[in-house]
Amino acid sequence: MVAAASLPSTPPPVGEEAEVPELETITVPLEAPPAAESRRGDVILDIRDLKTYFYTYDGVVRALDGVSFKLRTGETLGLAGETGCGKSVTAFSVLRLIPDPPGRVVSGKILFRGADLLWGLDKEARMKPIKNSVRVKVIRRFRRIKAAAARMMAVRGHGISMIFQEPTQAMNPVFPVYDQLGEALSIHRGRDIIDQLLAATPNAPELLPAIERLAEGVQNGEKLDQLKKHAMEVGEAAHLQSFGTQAFYAARSASAANTDALVHDLKAAARRFRLNGYQRSMMRYRRLQSVQMDELREAYMKEMREGQMHRLLEARARRRAFVAKWTHPQFGIPFLRRRGDKPLRDELFWEVVGLLEGVQIANPVQVARCYPFELSGGMIQRVMIAMALSSEPAVLIADEPTTALDVTIQAQILELMRDLKERIGTSTLLITHDLAVLAEVADRICIMYAGHIVENAPVQSLFANPLHPYTRGLLASIPRVDQPNKQLESIPGSVPNLINPPEGCRFHPRCPYAMPICSETRPPMTEEGGGHQVACYLYHGPNVVE
Amino acid sequence: MAEEPGKEVESPKKLRRRRPSPRIDQFRRTWYFFRRNTLAMIGLGILVFFAALFVVSFFYPADPTELTTYYATDGHAINPNATQAQICTYQPGIGELPPGPNCYATPNGMPSVIAPTVSLHPATLGPLPFGSLTQNPGSDPFYDPFDGLIKGTQWSLTVSVGVVASGAIIGILAGIVSGYYGGIIDEVVMRITDIFLSIPGLLLVIIVLAVLAGSVTSLWGRMSYVIFAFVVTWWPTYARIVRSQVLITREQRYVEAAKASGARGGRILRKHILPNSIYPVFVQMSLDVGTVPLLIAAIVFIGFRLFPVTNFPEWGTIAALSAQPAVLSGFIEVCQTQQGAACTFPWWQFLFPGLTLFLFAISVSFFADGLRDALDPRLRR
Amino acid sequence: MRLWVYVVRRILLVFPVVIGVMTITFLLVSALPIPDRLASAFGENPRLSWNQYIACSRITPGANGTCLNPAYVRGTHQLGLDRPIYVQWGTYIYNTFTGNWGYVGNASGVSTSVPIARGQPVVTVLGWFLPYTLELAAISLLLILIIAIPIGNLSAVNRNRPIDQAARVLSFSGYALPGFLLGSLLLMAAVVLVGGPSVHSAFCSGQTSYSDFTGSWPPPQCFPGGISPTWLNHNVQSSPTGFPTVDAALHGQWFLALDTVIRMIIPAFVIAYGTVALLLRFVRNSMLEVLNLDFVRTARAKGLPEKTVINKHAGRNSLNVTITVLGLTFAGFIAGFPIVETVFQLNGVGRMIAYSVTQTPYDYGVIFGSTVLFTLLVVAANIIVDVLYAFLDPRVRLG
Repeated sequence: MVAAASLPSTPPPVGEEAEVPELETITVPLEAPPAAESRRGDVILDIRDLKTYFYTYDGVVRALDGVSFKLRTGETLGLAGETGCGKSVTAFSVLRLIPDPPGRVVSGKILFRGADLLWGLDKEARMKPIKNSVRVKVIRRFRRIKAAAARMMAVRGHGISMIFQEPTQAMNPVFPVYDQLGEALSIHRGRDIIDQLLAATPNAPELLPAIERLAEGVQNGEKLDQLKKHAMEVGEAAHLQSFGTQAFYAARSASAANTDALVHDLKAAARRFRLNGYQRSMMRYRRLQSVQMDELREAYMKEMREGQMHRLLEARARRRAFVAKWTHPQFGIPFLRRRGDKPLRDELFWEVVGLLEGVQIANPVQVARCYPFELSGGMIQRVMIAMALSSEPAVLIADEPTTALDVTIQAQILELMRDLKERIGTSTLLITHDLAVLAEVADRICIMYAGHIVENAPVQSLFANPLHPYTRGLLASIPRVDQPNKQLESIPGSVPNLINPPEGCRFHPRCPYAMPICSETRPPMTEEGGGHQVACYLYHGPNVVE
Repeated sequence: MAEEPGKEVESPKKLRRRRPSPRIDQFRRTWYFFRRNTLAMIGLGILVFFAALFVVSFFYPADPTELTTYYATDGHAINPNATQAQICTYQPGIGELPPGPNCYATPNGMPSVIAPTVSLHPATLGPLPFGSLTQNPGSDPFYDPFDGLIKGTQWSLTVSVGVVASGAIIGILAGIVSGYYGGIIDEVVMRITDIFLSIPGLLLVIIVLAVLAGSVTSLWGRMSYVIFAFVVTWWPTYARIVRSQVLITREQRYVEAAKASGARGGRILRKHILPNSIYPVFVQMSLDVGTVPLLIAAIVFIGFRLFPVTNFPEWGTIAALSAQPAVLSGFIEVCQTQQGAACTFPWWQFLFPGLTLFLFAISVSFFADGLRDALDPRLRR
Repeated sequence: MRLWVYVVRRILLVFPVVIGVMTITFLLVSALPIPDRLASAFGENPRLSWNQYIACSRITPGANGTCLNPAYVRGTHQLGLDRPIYVQWGTYIYNTFTGNWGYVGNASGVSTSVPIARGQPVVTVLGWFLPYTLELAAISLLLILIIAIPIGNLSAVNRNRPIDQAARVLSFSGYALPGFLLGSLLLMAAVVLVGGPSVHSAFCSGQTSYSDFTGSWPPPQCFPGGISPTWLNHNVQSSPTGFPTVDAALHGQWFLALDTVIRMIIPAFVIAYGTVALLLRFVRNSMLEVLNLDFVRTARAKGLPEKTVINKHAGRNSLNVTITVLGLTFAGFIAGFPIVETVFQLNGVGRMIAYSVTQTPYDYGVIFGSTVLFTLLVVAANIIVDVLYAFLDPRVRLG
């Protein structure tokens, strides 16, 4: 857990079902190992020959024409290139967020933990070229497309998360932050949170002494770290971590003179997880709904992995999920939510505060209550990172997370991402046009040009020895402080039109080393040693990478 | 693009030597999007049909009172002073002869109910293609609805187009001036449009006409007052639309460039702002052409005498008169007192006038909607 | 800023528009011939009472065998018709704000159709009939929201597919079909199928007149058990609130209340049908716009089910535009009332308007009074819409 990493580890109290008799515990048969268990170095995301086209009035835009790369567990892969070369399109294609008219993922395979996310792609649409025109008619099968979108729900957020480019536009302006983060939490970790809540002990004898110790700490004017420790002890005593968070912020804003008020407030706050019978049964019902959601996700993953429709399981899970959807505490219709859900919603609020702590926001309680338009870009990007990582995904895709932010904020965000990566070990696909950023953060870099990957190398190897002419041109055009130069170098020509891209290697019109073969066939990706791959006829040898 | 002679796919547009002017290109693009919309093409087709009908209507007598009329006679003699061809209706009894040569027999107790299938007694005039308009016996003479609807095309279309065109001109002028100059002019014009938009359209037309045209009885005098009343109701909408477009257009770079090169206000308005701000107005104009006959029908329906005579041949009037509550209540009463098969529901008097109005309005709305989708840059794919 | 501050500011902003509307009616009233003005201000038949000159008798000597009508002189002086125009304007505005809108004319269509209104002040008569119109408006608005929003959302999500085309045809037919035609046809259908458009007509048999099929008040004499409640007087007034449904509920007459509501369902549907036509396009277009925004993509990337993304995230944001458009089309919505009320013979302000323009002399008092009334309703609706918008969208309140 994000928040847990900064605290002494507390074992999650899932085993304690003593107060919850006769619960229909359905254990979800997870067949693939969860993220934390796949070993470093395993390929977790394998993209093979991905093609994404956009069908427009002016013709077919071949945005991605056969993109292949692999992302390994724990690795940070950078995807770099100019504006318009298809980096964002790659990211959206992985999560299938391409707006369907006009775009389509046309072919390819995206293997995530052995499941092909593009299963059933060929049956979704049929292309019919129109005579005497550059346009192509796309005949879509909407039921299949909808089914594919439903399958993707199993993976989005849960297995693969994404953060976007313009943080100020990325959040819904009419809902406050705790609502939107709470949504993500309740979908992906609803069961754990409910289990914690059910196992909380508001009547524990050690709770009151812990609260009093905390109050003493406030009175003695202790530093925040000490207060934090005391607050965490309070949380342990109550068997509810988020109560520790709540206690900490209550203590932080309390005055040293009035610690009785603090104790009183905390005792009142402890009432929120003193559940009566009705609330308990409501919690169990919600837990059941979460389990059903997990079942549904698992059914979809199985379908994508085995390449078959598991109709029966899917239908049952779908029916249950239907009820869950309408009465869910976070996103059901308000009057269908019941009063018994209040403890869960409060719990989600404090979990959200904990998450925001984890992304190093200084005043998480106020930020959680804010609306997105009241926050600055950097703050919202942190919130988005919190949202993306709340579900402990295996892969995080970051689409130009810092392009819209100032340089100082950029540094902070990158620092944060590096920190989180070390703590949680998510594999990251970082998309940016700024090579300097990648030099800092990435383990491996892919350079893209006009919808093709031209070079794929470990970061040291790329900067030390750029092979592809485009990479060389890119690196040469960055002005360097230690080498005063009279003239800024640039790559001659301009980015090609993707409706009529150049034949063969797409870079050949601008390449100073172009050969006749470059305009005929596309160079395959070849391995040049030390994991350094390049697609260029200058190096074309027998070791072609499949 | 490629610098060496590679294979280039030429699109048909590029086969031309010189690209046509951007305006024509824009028009062609708009037409392409419009063409792809089936409903819009259907609307266009029906509108062409109505335009043809409009031409046909000029072959009808210019004076509406010269159309063939019919009387509901209840068996009595028809009007002996009539100067033109008439059709009469009567209830045939045993041994009863029709009172005149051009008489239709009607169901018992329901004079002037002539279905489209009923044929004339001496078979000289043939069936009334659209049946009759049911009226109480002894009331004013009415013309044949078929003639009335065709003649009505002329009036309805003229009034609609006249209202829309005048309203659009005034509205566009007001909108452009207020949008471009801003400041106090803008505030004043906005308040005025607010005032006019707050008064419901129907009521505004009624009160303007009730006050100004209460005593005018000549055809053209009344018509001009009617058009005036409608224009007063309609111009604020256009002013609003144009103003919001002008607010966007005046911030564009080319306006700044024009100002920098010394163009004065009038020239900028004419050449830059006007052409770029009136696209949404076209959509609204086409929609309003369909709304005007409906509004006329509504006004006549609630009993207000819009035209110099009650039985004026115009779509809205005919439709409204055929659906009056008095007519319906009469029908119900007759049907309840006279049990049995004598009670025929006069479906034709609702269907044909209503269908005309409906077809016109719906084809106009298909057209306008297709136009809107074709012009909107965000909805184009 | 606080919500109530916003409301007060909004109400203050509306004053110029209200005064402007009253100015327009004032200008039109001034254009009337004086006998008509006097008739609308004081009632009575203009041709009989307000002729400027009367045949000379022993009252006042004058030239040419005619004398000045003393009532005319008194009337014009009382109305201030001899004062300068701006004084007249001021008096008119003052009178309108204080509720002195004139009297119902004695020979007008209103007097003949609703005999009880003869000679009454216009404000009172309109006050009798306004609650019916408001109830009809409430039911119509409910129907509009229930129909337009889900279908608009569905239309936007399944763009250009069969359901979108069907919704489009539906909305066009709503716009193209004249209200009175639809109303008449539905009424005839109701009469043929169930004997009438209300619960009452299903229970009571042997209706004889047209007005028994329609009309919301007073209801015909057919109550269960044959007992008519004592508080029901057969005037158009009902006590204590004036709203028939509320009154019936307050008196415990659930059958009557239900009957009143059901009587209004078909007219409300006819009104709603016309407005849904307009609104559906806006809901669809605003939804299409919202679906292209970034936060919808974020919501999908979070792993939310598609229904939640559409209904919760996109739906809430497109609701703002929908509500605004509803406010803007309120003027058109209100304009449909005279027609529907005439077809279904409901006792609302719309039918008052119809009566007042049916026969000359037009009842100018009622015409102008109801125009001002409807305009105030439109203005009030716009204020409510703005407040609702501020309530729904936190950016307006806090930003």
